[in-house]
Order: sequence, then structure tokens, then C-alpha cells
Amino acid sequence: MEGGLGESTSVPPPQSPSCSGNGANDAGDFECNICFELAQDPIVTLCGHLFCWPCLYRWLHHHSHSQECPVCKALVEEEKLVPLYGRGKTQSDPRSKSYPGIDIPHRPSGQRPETAPLPDANQFANYGFGFMGGFVPMATARIGNFTLATAFGGLIPSLFNIQFHGFPDATVYGTTSGFPYGFHSFHGGHAHGFPQPSSRGQQADNVLKNLLLVIGVFVILALLCW
Amino acid sequence: MTSSSAPSRKALSKIACNRLQKEMVEWQVNPPAGFKHKVTDNLQRWVIEVSGAPGTLYANEIYQLQVDFPEHYPMEAPQVIFLPPAPLHPHIYSNGHICLDILYDSWSPAMTVSSVCISILSMLSSSTVKQRPADNDRYVKNCRNGRSPKETRWWFHDDKV
Repeated sequence: MEGGLGESTSVPPPQSPSCSGNGANDAGDFECNICFELAQDPIVTLCGHLFCWPCLYRWLHHHSHSQECPVCKALVEEEKLVPLYGRGKTQSDPRSKSYPGIDIPHRPSGQRPETAPLPDANQFANYGFGFMGGFVPMATARIGNFTLATAFGGLIPSLFNIQFHGFPDATVYGTTSGFPYGFHSFHGGHAHGFPQPSSRGQQADNVLKNLLLVIGVFVILALLCW
Repeated sequence: MTSSSAPSRKALSKIACNRLQKEMVEWQVNPPAGFKHKVTDNLQRWVIEVSGAPGTLYANEIYQLQVDFPEHYPMEAPQVIFLPPAPLHPHIYSNGHICLDILYDSWSPAMTVSSVCISILSMLSSSTVKQRPADNDRYVKNCRNGRSPKETRWWFHDDKV
């Protein structure tokens, strides 16, 4: 263990990895801490230690008495392991690292956050809204707000934007699907070029999609009734 | 020589072989201070010379460690014993068995022969008396027919030495 720790801390100042002939040491940063080979199906614990998935799985399930990181003894939770997807080969041959008699399941997959919002697409949608909003003269109070806001253009959004930022919990905001909140953030976002952190931006994006749908329905209903 | 030839010793797996070769290369490039690997062509059994650290009770003394690797090393700990004569130490039995948790329950596959050697030297160096464990005779008698220390149910009670 001391060897392992020493290795990671006493690495000399970074050099260009291609300039040295000593391949064994240069690859050291990417060697599995169990088999000491270049990690295959590489996986990283939350404490930052790299292993081959088959090596770590076999240790945790067939040899260890506890769920500890072999290097630093930190608790290892399988659902919190992070796989490393490099370029190169996409699918490793499952037979290439075989532990006889042990069936090793698939490596845990990465936890992928949603894609970042596309500013251009939102802008486009915004104009569409304004246009449709104009066609709804007698709607509910909320729709009334909507038309009002669009009518006042850039003045009201900044007020609303403050309101949005004051809202404490992004998830609460998301699930209550506050029609008006989503709407405000939409305008605020547009006017200020997406100042919020991306997670909120994504929430807003989702709310907006729903909003668009609801408004579309309202417009069609309004047209029908008219 | 007790338990020098473990009865059912299986050959090293391919993974164990690869890892030991890497450890061997690393040892040759950067051996731990105070240790000398006695070269043989047997990858599965290493004999290592330990020099007592200067300024400790074991200064100027030389002992020999015998390290035997199981088929599934490093998933399983190596068997590490002192060849006779074993140093006089409160955690080292006269048959060479060493009471050290990392060799048994606390083994981790990230450890290496080199790190185990350093732990053993550290254990020697922190000793304040040269004496055998209290239960030495009873334990050694129980191990008489070549039992491996890995079959012992160790009780680790002293974290000072």
C-alpha cells in the first residue's frame, strides 16, 4: 500500500509522455492498482483510484471481506464507480481478461447528465411564442401574464429574473412545473444570455418544452372557440 | 524448516505471473532500502535478505524472509515467514511465523512484496524488547506438521510494535 501511495505522489514533474523510452513508467498513471497492467475496462473509484473492472469486481466479490478501496480503504460503492471511456477500441473482448470460474458482469456505465441547452434553438422558440401570444386575447390569468410580459418586452423580464434566482430549490421549481416560473426564466434567460448554471438551464428547457405544448393546445382551442 | 514446501501448491495463474514479473522488474530498478532479493529462477518463491535498521535492536543483524505466492496472487496474500533463525520479537514465533495483519485479514491486492517488506522492517524497528510472543511454545507445537501461518486464526491486539 505504501508503494502504491508513494507511486502516485512521487511522480516527477510532468514531461511530455512521448519523449521517454521508458514505457513502463510512463504508463504507470494508467495502470490498474491490482494487476499493474494498463487498465482494461478501466474504472475509477470516488477516491480516484484506477482499476480494471474485472480486477476490482473479483476483489470485492470473491476475496475481500469488506467493500474497501484496495489502495486507500475508502468505502467503495459500485453504483458510484466511474468508467473511463477513452477513444480507441470501443468494445473489449470479454475473454481477454478471464478469471476462471468467475462470471464478471458488465462494467457499470457512466452517469450521463442531460445535454446542455442550445441557445439558438431557444431564441427561435421565443419568437414563435411572442407571435402566438398575440393571437390569444382572452385567456386565463396566466396567459394574460404571458401576453403582458411579451408586450412589455425587455422591461419586465429583469424583474422576473430576480424572482427566479431567489427561488431556492431548482428541483422544487422543476417539479411544481411552475408555469409562470418557467416562463419568467425563459425570458430572463433570453434577455441575459443564460446567466444561470447549466442544471437550471436544463430544467428551464424542459419546462419550456411543456409550456410550448400547453400553449399550442390553448391556441388551437382558442381558435376553435373563436 | 517448517512449512517450507506447502503441500498443495498450485502453479501461478497467468495474471499472478505477469504481476510478479512486474514487481520483480520494479524491485531490480528500485529495491527497498535494507533488502536484498536472492536471485533464483523460481518466481513463485522469493527469498529476501533483511538487514536490521541502524539504531534499532536489530542493527547489524541479517535475517531471511521467504515469500511464497499463491495461485491467485494478488487476490490472495503471499505467505511470508522468516527462515530460521527468526528474529527475537514479540510478534515473531520461533518457527518464523509473523503476526502481522496485512499478511492475513488486512491484505490488499494493491500491496506489493516491497511494501510488505517495509512493513516487516518497520515492525522490527519499533520493537523495544527482544523476546518471543507469550504463547510461542503452544503455537509452534500446534503448527508442527507444516501448517501455513495463513491457516492460523490470528488475533491482532497490539498496534504499537
